[in-house]
Amino acid sequence: MAIINTPNGYKLDDSGQRVVVDPVTRIEGHMRCEVNLDADNYIRNAVSTGTMWRGLEVILKGRDPRDAWAFVQRICGVCTGTHALTSVRAVEDALNIDIPENANSIRNIMQLSLQIHDHLVHFYHLHALDWVNPVNALKADPKATSELQQKVSPSHPKSSPGYFRDIQTRIRKFIESGQLGPFKNGYWTNPAYLLPPEADLMAVTHYLEALDFQKEIMTTRTIFGGKDIHPNWLVGGVPCAINMDGDLAAGAPINMERLNYVRGVVQRTIRFVNDVYIPDILAIGGFYKGWLYGGGLSGTNVLAYGDIPDNANDYSPANLMMPQGAVINGDLSTVHPIDLRNPDEIQEFVPHSWYKYPDEAKGLHPWDGITEPNYELGPNFEGTKTDIKKLDEGAKYSWIKAPRWKGHAMEVGPLARYVVGYAQGHEYFTEQINFTLKALDVPISALFSTLGRTAARALEAAWAADKQLYFLDKLVNNIKNGDSTTANTEKFDPSTWPSDIKGLGFTEAPRGALGHWVKIKDTKIDNYQCVVPTTWNGSPRDNQGNIGAFEASLMNTKVEVAEEPVEILRTIHSFDPCLACSTHVMSEDGETLADVKVR
Amino acid sequence: MHETFYDVMRRQGITRRSFLKYCSLAAAALGLGPEFAPKIAHAMETKPRIPVLWLHGLECTCCSESFIRSAHPLAKDVILSMISLDYDDTIMAAAGHQAEAIIEETIEKYDGNFILAVEGNAPLNEDGMYCIIGGKPFVEQLTHAAKHAKAIISWGSCASWGCVQAARPNPTRATPTHKVPGIGNKPIIKVPGCPPISEVMTAVITYMLTFEKMPSLDRQGRPKMFYSQRIHDKCYRRPHFDAGQFVEKFDDEGAKKGYCLYKVGCKGPTTYNACSTVRWSGGLSFPIQAGHPCIGCSEDGFWDKGSFYDRLTDIHGFGVEADADEIGTTAAVIVGGAAAIHAGASAVKRATQQGDQE
Amino acid sequence: MSVAKIHTEEAIYVYGPWIRIWHWTQAFAILVLGVTGYLIGAPPESVSSGEASDHFQMGYIRYFHFCAAYILIIGFVVRIWRAIVGNRHNREIFLPPVWRTSFWSEVWHEIKWYALVIPEPKKYVGHNPLALLAMHIMYVWTTIFMIITGLSLYGEGTGMGTWQHTFFTSWVNPLFGQSQDVHTWHHLGMWMLICFVITHVYVAVREDIMSRQSIISSMISGWRTFKDNRSN
Repeated sequence: MAIINTPNGYKLDDSGQRVVVDPVTRIEGHMRCEVNLDADNYIRNAVSTGTMWRGLEVILKGRDPRDAWAFVQRICGVCTGTHALTSVRAVEDALNIDIPENANSIRNIMQLSLQIHDHLVHFYHLHALDWVNPVNALKADPKATSELQQKVSPSHPKSSPGYFRDIQTRIRKFIESGQLGPFKNGYWTNPAYLLPPEADLMAVTHYLEALDFQKEIMTTRTIFGGKDIHPNWLVGGVPCAINMDGDLAAGAPINMERLNYVRGVVQRTIRFVNDVYIPDILAIGGFYKGWLYGGGLSGTNVLAYGDIPDNANDYSPANLMMPQGAVINGDLSTVHPIDLRNPDEIQEFVPHSWYKYPDEAKGLHPWDGITEPNYELGPNFEGTKTDIKKLDEGAKYSWIKAPRWKGHAMEVGPLARYVVGYAQGHEYFTEQINFTLKALDVPISALFSTLGRTAARALEAAWAADKQLYFLDKLVNNIKNGDSTTANTEKFDPSTWPSDIKGLGFTEAPRGALGHWVKIKDTKIDNYQCVVPTTWNGSPRDNQGNIGAFEASLMNTKVEVAEEPVEILRTIHSFDPCLACSTHVMSEDGETLADVKVR
Repeated sequence: MHETFYDVMRRQGITRRSFLKYCSLAAAALGLGPEFAPKIAHAMETKPRIPVLWLHGLECTCCSESFIRSAHPLAKDVILSMISLDYDDTIMAAAGHQAEAIIEETIEKYDGNFILAVEGNAPLNEDGMYCIIGGKPFVEQLTHAAKHAKAIISWGSCASWGCVQAARPNPTRATPTHKVPGIGNKPIIKVPGCPPISEVMTAVITYMLTFEKMPSLDRQGRPKMFYSQRIHDKCYRRPHFDAGQFVEKFDDEGAKKGYCLYKVGCKGPTTYNACSTVRWSGGLSFPIQAGHPCIGCSEDGFWDKGSFYDRLTDIHGFGVEADADEIGTTAAVIVGGAAAIHAGASAVKRATQQGDQE
Repeated sequence: MSVAKIHTEEAIYVYGPWIRIWHWTQAFAILVLGVTGYLIGAPPESVSSGEASDHFQMGYIRYFHFCAAYILIIGFVVRIWRAIVGNRHNREIFLPPVWRTSFWSEVWHEIKWYALVIPEPKKYVGHNPLALLAMHIMYVWTTIFMIITGLSLYGEGTGMGTWQHTFFTSWVNPLFGQSQDVHTWHHLGMWMLICFVITHVYVAVREDIMSRQSIISSMISGWRTFKDNRSN
């Protein structure tokens, strides 16, 4: 193909060396990435592929809509719950159900706890090893680490030299055992790792501290939903009834002891995020601030649906504490309103996806979506059907569809939310951004980068930790004012439902904007469609040839060692991809799964 | 008894000299100084932590998420001190072919002596290409590793039963581990649940390490220590069940008093799991305590039993979906109606016959 | 027409005391099992107040279900014992002579009688062939099915290591898939028995009136009487 100029402004050149990363690890699900490097090791063509398909929406057809949350929740166990919340909102929208104020507060606490947990675990356990070299930590002087720790986070109690020496000894024993476990075959000698040993030791220590602490963050969901992973939700509210001091309050799901537990967790979470996570981001960011690759679409086209309704049942932008809107063509002065119900705004395309449309030149709005799997490989493909060596991006090459907003490829996620919020003058977000830029002494343009994405995630965790407390107080005040309702069961019985309805639910998942579109016919699901964050970010090319956010962000990045493309991992990881989420779609005639031909 | 890495190398005819050379190369490859070489050599000559390959098929990663939430032991201690988690694409540093190489290395060094942990399952339709790892179908990676493993742990309901992607109509033909062709008769421990309880996962592993044997399993392959009783049997709301005190609908008086959730569809009476004993998040709570009926997530095919909020569940296979009472009432009405009509017809016939006789 | 008929037809002693006691205890057990079984699937309105220990509503429903179930099981075992040691009428419902063509032609005859095509059925000392077939399928096999699934469900409560669990639950659950399926099929079996009872009672009454032999009174007295002396 030689050189192609995409409508969204990228010059693709596939003439250089092809580097394949498959599997891309430390993500949720399965993904493949292929790039072409020029003679100077700059990425000049990028191909990202979702490599799994589970067919969940096919499975949903004909089910009870009240059960849908449980099915779609299993789309992803990492962003667990966000699909469930989106689903109950979609069904409530279809049935016109208003939920009680308490239910809104509880749902928000659950959703915010996910944001915090997901961001924290993503940074320390999925992303950190792209920046932090645990082997190098062995060379550190624990005293220097202690000093660094006290400098970047004076209020964090775990900062003595002895503490770091103990951790270092443990890591040393582990590495000396020769059994490196998860650290095996990492790129530990790659020059792209820039941290000094004392910073590596601090970061590795916090890798372990965060591993211990993260299990606490979502215990609020164990209280409200019975489990921290895949908790229980309810169409019409929340299942956990409140009984503060009535008869048998001891056996009630929510009583004073439970609320106190939640408050403890919420407070410890705020402290951990502010004492450990944020300082680490600033410290590590400081060492890498010269590495500003990976901006991709973040500086030009970003999209946020908004989430966290302050008051129940009002999903208008003014009531959403996470911003809603779209920025296109890099024009931060205008935030465009979005309408998820408008058939002309969000559309999904499949010319480069392993699905079939009657007319692939056109996109389809999710309510009218069609999905028929169609696994076929293009003429320039190399390998066999079950042993792919090189994909042909000129043809179909991914299990992910290509969603577009008014024809634009968009980036979603924490950075997109912060860019939209910044453009709208969202006070909290703007203050955080300005503080960070100042602390790192970088211009606003630095925000549009791999590190910007990683930093936005941390800032958002801090914001979410604050807002958890806000909603806990709100819940308590509401109970104090005499309202302890948690569920509206007026329309729980399917016999009360109209025969032909449709609904929309949206949230901001940790990874970005998430929408579910449902059609219900005669009390059963007729069509269920999810457009998820990684569908936006990981999308393949569309009918116009626009590349998606992953691909755009990889473009023009320098790879130090072609055999060890840690730079690709950095940038892909900065999106926190969730492939199980992105790769499942269904249609009205979803069951007819066609046989597949290999060209 | 596992061979140490050194034993394996000696058995393969590698001299001590070249072994030590390997150790210094290993130290260098990690960017460590030469002083680390003897330490690596020492470690390799002593008993290794048992290697674990943790593969991911079609899944949602909830099992991994659960595993890292273990409160006792902490996931950190399991990973650093108990096992050697050599392959787990969710947390491993390596990627691409360097990651895939680890599987081969492990098979080579620890043939028959590593544990294969499977999260998710393999789709068999489309030649397995609904789940691709390293350009190849996941099922190939799975069967290859299984052939050389000592034992297999099927984490969660996906690997144990099939779970959500295998729910009707199972478009990808997602297949639980024990039913994948080519797995052979390796011992398989099923640890179902969506996800399994964190401490149950780590307890299964630590049991095997502590007592150096497989946990005793029930007929369906689940460790008896956690799956031999129903949630109902140890549910703290059980007295309300026996008393006949039920939640009739959500947020009613019964819900506020913590009555039994049986009538809003609780599957506790048919679900084998440790939720009501071990509970979640280190013993903090479990679904019923939080006011929601158990949905039976550790049971085979729990997705296809009708609504989670119905007491009586659907029966498939007659081309209709209905619960036993719907089918039964219909049948009884038909039979009763037929009897009534027949009685009427018989009476008329008898009357006319008697008329004829007279 | 008012002249009373003088009955000179022979009477045969068909149902011994075991069988009659068995029949009526089964009838009682099935009635209790049906009612309590239905209530286990669809419990009555919640007992609204008081401490849980003040009530035992669901407990009693289940308790009566289990008691009746054991009565049914013991009765069934007794019945099998009678089938082995008793007269040939005791064996009938367990071993319908399906291998005989004459059996099937008589079934056809009965069907025609029930279809109101022919004016008169044949006389039988025991069950008529159609009744035999119905008893065999709808009663014998359904009861066996209910006993096995019932003990399997009961074994879930008594737990691993008990005979109910070892001999039933341990293999029945995997066979059906899971416990919920066993519950569902057991519940469906209840409806099968209800259909059987409806048919059985209706046909017994009808035959009592319209056939050529006694039916209901035979199960009380043991004697089969006939309404005519004609041969078949």
